[in-house]
Amino acid sequence: MSQFAVEAHQLVKKFPARPGTGDRPSPAGRGDTGEGSESAPSPKKKRWQFWKKESKAIFTAVSGVDIQIQRGEIFGLLGPNGAGKSTTIRMLCTLLEPTSGTAHVNGYDIVKQANDVRRSLGTVLAGERSIYWKLTGRENLEYFAALYHIPTAIAKKRVDELIERMELKDRANELVEKYSTGMRQRVAIAKALLARPPILLLDEPTLGLDPQAARNLRELIAQLKQEGHTILLTTHYMEEADQLSDRIGIIDTGKIIALDTPAGLKRRIDQKEIIRLEVSGWQAYIGEKLLALQEVENLVAHRQAEADLWEVNMQATDSRAVLPKLVESISQNGTRLVNMNIVKPSLEDVFIHLTGKALRD
Amino acid sequence: METSLASRSLGQPGFLSDVRAFYAVLRREWTIFTRYPSWIIALFIWPLIFPMMYILTARALSGPDGSGLAVFITTTGATDYIGYIIVGTTVWMWQNIVLWDVGFSLRNEQMRGTLESNWLSPTWRFSYLLGQTGPQIVSMVMFIGITALEFGLLFGVRLNGSAWMIALMMLAAIPAIYGLGFAFASLVITVKEANAFVFLIRGMVMIFCGITFPVAILPGWMQSFAKWLPQTYLIHGMRTAAFSNAGIKELLPDLIPLLIFGMFWLAVGYFTFLWMERRARKTGAIGQY
Repeated sequence: MSQFAVEAHQLVKKFPARPGTGDRPSPAGRGDTGEGSESAPSPKKKRWQFWKKESKAIFTAVSGVDIQIQRGEIFGLLGPNGAGKSTTIRMLCTLLEPTSGTAHVNGYDIVKQANDVRRSLGTVLAGERSIYWKLTGRENLEYFAALYHIPTAIAKKRVDELIERMELKDRANELVEKYSTGMRQRVAIAKALLARPPILLLDEPTLGLDPQAARNLRELIAQLKQEGHTILLTTHYMEEADQLSDRIGIIDTGKIIALDTPAGLKRRIDQKEIIRLEVSGWQAYIGEKLLALQEVENLVAHRQAEADLWEVNMQATDSRAVLPKLVESISQNGTRLVNMNIVKPSLEDVFIHLTGKALRD
Repeated sequence: METSLASRSLGQPGFLSDVRAFYAVLRREWTIFTRYPSWIIALFIWPLIFPMMYILTARALSGPDGSGLAVFITTTGATDYIGYIIVGTTVWMWQNIVLWDVGFSLRNEQMRGTLESNWLSPTWRFSYLLGQTGPQIVSMVMFIGITALEFGLLFGVRLNGSAWMIALMMLAAIPAIYGLGFAFASLVITVKEANAFVFLIRGMVMIFCGITFPVAILPGWMQSFAKWLPQTYLIHGMRTAAFSNAGIKELLPDLIPLLIFGMFWLAVGYFTFLWMERRARKTGAIGQY
């Protein structure tokens, strides 16, 4: 048996882009989780369209991903929407065939031994519609137990066990359409656990959940690791990746741009300080002015929920020296500094440091 | 507490497991079908509405004293024009419903978001399509039974033939009708929108297969084309089985081509599905809607 639970080498996925529109395909299927790298579609193949020959542009969603996930580890794949997370997951769970490169899951080749890969995996894809809303929670689990080839008697016990564990006992015989989003997600996770697969692929598992449900789910994921599951988790929530992952791969434009433990990643910008400002009446030219200061780099500004209030993050080599200059540059022409903090670097700051943009961009 | 997971996987692959999975798909489809109660209304209304259009047209054309029916009897050899029409329209309706139900089954799953979730399991994937046919066949048998009952009660239509022979004809038609549905289902996944194809196919059945008239009245080239459509043999064979005391021997000229077409369309359906499955893995078509 392979020493790695998941091993990918130079995994590439290219899709034909819709010609003429500049649209990118949505290999992940759902509009809200559509993946793809930022690389521009490149004309490659020709195809006939009635009377005229038209270029068929190729869009690279994943561009040479290398991952090695140890058994029993939680590996977080962190990146913004469209970075290639879901496409990578879809290749690993055999829904998509890579254009090139190889990958093994539980020692099985994802192309040549696809069915063995499926037996080794429990997968929760992004979105809550992976179960049947016109079936009850119990009926859903019994149905998927049969699809995962679990003998009937064992399946019944296992379904009861998971219903109990997911705290669905009182409502297991109600139609899923009456469930809350969090309950549906629990059924989806129970479905992934049915056959006791050694490896779990969780694609944005807390997406759309309320804070309490997301917290409960994170606790469950931590428990599943304790029980010996290897977990590949994709998320664009940095706190989630930070809290749960043993190691994190930061993915952007289809490439892994950094891979380390959360602490290791943060150490990369240890010598830098993060200055977080709240500014009223922020103007883009102020950002340019601040970036012109020698001590400041990687400045990112976001409008907050309150009207005209902006959160401005930047990395500085010597915050003491730069603070007076910041205050002076900002407090002009009606722009006002409301709040200011110097904080420890987070994974988001690491991401900004590596890419020059924020995770939520 | 769960430990040493690799050695304790609960899945037990094998032929029986695949049979169980197929049964699970079948049961799931039936359960979901019964949870949309509007099907009961449709089941009672549709068998009447569609043939009524043709029956009333025939009644109008036969004249106030019905004398025009003599011409119809001479041309078709059928004394019961209503029975003649309802056999044709029921076959048309069968193919039509299969195209919508089975043909759009994978597409509906795709739009619901459950197709990928099924695709992730190690089950033989053709089961998902095959499993859709079970409840569809049951509902279609009910549809045909209700058609016979309603027209028997309201119009006095009597089936003189053997119920076994009618059942045999229907059984022989299943591979062709559903094979076409399988091929269609696989294409719909790829092209996403296929209403125009449904209209084309059912239009062809309507015009070429003689749902309300004998194929013999068509121009020569249309008759030749009709021979390539399995529904032509099904309609003819069903009329023979329903309104005469025909046995297997009399039905063979319709049964044999129907079975040959059945093998052909089943193979087309299966290989189209394999092609679609392979293509979907390359393009990601399964998850797109």
